[in-house]
Amino acid sequence: MRGAYKDLREFLTALDEEGQLLRIHDQVLPEPDMAAAACALTEIGENSPAIHFDNIAGFTDARIAMNVHGSWCNHALALGMEKDAAMRDQFFEFVRRFQLYPGTLERVTSAPWQEVVIDKDVNLFEILPLFRLNRGDGGYFIDKACTISRDLDDWDNDDVENVGIYRLQVKGPNRLGIQTVPQHDIAIHMAHAEERGEDLPVAIAIGNEPIITLMGATPLLYTQLEYKMAAVMQGSPYRVVRTAKGLDVPWGAEYVLEGRVLCGVRETEGPFGEFPGYYSGCHKYPVIEIDRVSHRKDPVYDAVYVGRPWTEIDFLQAMTTSAPIFLQLKQTFPEVVAVNALYTHGLVVVVSTKIRYGGFAKYVGLRVLTTTHGLGYAKVVIVVDEDVDPFDLKQVMWAISVKVNPAGDIVTIPNLAENLLDPACSPGGIVTKMIIDATTPVAPDVRGDYGEELDRPKNTDQWRTKLQGMLKEKRK
Amino acid sequence: MTSPTVNITPSACPRCRAGELRTLGKSPVGGVWTIFGCSTCFYAWRSTEPEENVDPDKYPAPFRLRPERLADLKTIPPVPPRRSST
Repeated sequence: MRGAYKDLREFLTALDEEGQLLRIHDQVLPEPDMAAAACALTEIGENSPAIHFDNIAGFTDARIAMNVHGSWCNHALALGMEKDAAMRDQFFEFVRRFQLYPGTLERVTSAPWQEVVIDKDVNLFEILPLFRLNRGDGGYFIDKACTISRDLDDWDNDDVENVGIYRLQVKGPNRLGIQTVPQHDIAIHMAHAEERGEDLPVAIAIGNEPIITLMGATPLLYTQLEYKMAAVMQGSPYRVVRTAKGLDVPWGAEYVLEGRVLCGVRETEGPFGEFPGYYSGCHKYPVIEIDRVSHRKDPVYDAVYVGRPWTEIDFLQAMTTSAPIFLQLKQTFPEVVAVNALYTHGLVVVVSTKIRYGGFAKYVGLRVLTTTHGLGYAKVVIVVDEDVDPFDLKQVMWAISVKVNPAGDIVTIPNLAENLLDPACSPGGIVTKMIIDATTPVAPDVRGDYGEELDRPKNTDQWRTKLQGMLKEKRK
Repeated sequence: MTSPTVNITPSACPRCRAGELRTLGKSPVGGVWTIFGCSTCFYAWRSTEPEENVDPDKYPAPFRLRPERLADLKTIPPVPPRRSST
């Protein structure tokens, strides 16, 4: 495991060295070029690189990075693994580190992002190289920043400080809209602040090293601090700097915006092209006023393109969704082997499990629905045997093909709660969920006529090692 | 890899056609683009964007808004009641 990347720049350099970064020096327009290039990256193969622009029309020194997490290769490098690490290996490594929680914070007193300070006449439209992602978006969104807040009722408790990624619509020179749902930890901070009649201080860190971005996208418990999880993920204490208001900000951030969620204010926000591949619609959402912007010299703005899946956002919500579901399932059913919740933030979940007795798989499927994340997302759960790799869809489809008899293997439960962003909801927030039992029936479930399954010839492993070595040599 | 663009000074919001507009920002390199904003629906656009984002007549129908409907938008989260002072 490689050590921590101290900032986004160091990660971009590492991606470059691994052949996973394209640098565009030609002049580009903010629209439609930025989004078009990012979308194109999703269409050019499995190991698509990050992209870095340094000549954006109208800006003097803007730099934009996109698709930084946008392939399994980049995801592996972010975790400090070999770039060709298999999805399954990335899952088990992510889970292993996840269970080491908590790590520690390293508090220092200065950071590169303090180099340039703007504390009057803040105009985010001129400071940040903003651009529209999708043509129906209601404006320009900061969509890959870590928003940091504390609980006004429990201010000195580090464990309830929160680092989360929420979409932020830039609505005025120093005015942002923020989208949160009640399940988000910041929603608790906002509710406490509004009950007290106070504004909620926030810091917004843009352009971070790759681990804290993944942690900001992970559904941690309210009392788990993302920095402490980032520390175990990167294998060393997580370095932060405190703002004057007392919020901890990643040392390596490129830009830091400081401001307040305005008490009791709601304004029109959206739409925004969201992770299910549909626009979100417009709502009245809370508002943040920015008082101060700090940034590094020649800052790099990091953004995530959101389009019809798969795009970069799907990598941000992949292992970060699968691991917590797996660990919660495992507490109830130690037989569970692995969980693939990679698809559209876990709207579809594939679980592989040992089978205790006939009918067991359906209970595993039901338990997925009652995990914290499952309550609002898991809609279709596919349960497969322990020897089927849930990350290999060819194997999953084989299991569905031969092990499912719809007469007894499909369970639907009507009218369950679901995230509003799932467009299949009817009415909004309510959906029917389904469990597909794609495991082999075992006694006393004696359905079907399953004889002996085919297995692999003796010496296959030795031959695989030999042939892989030969191929690697030949392709050098 | 720039595309053909327009540079329209707006008279109405492309999305909701309200007339109260403001200039939100100008390109740090002078004269390249201006960002406008609608004070009614908060739509924002850059003068150099494709026509469908800057011209009210070409703005896509599925994304249009009517100012009188904005008050009906759902408020998320609702503003909680203030705690009573003791």
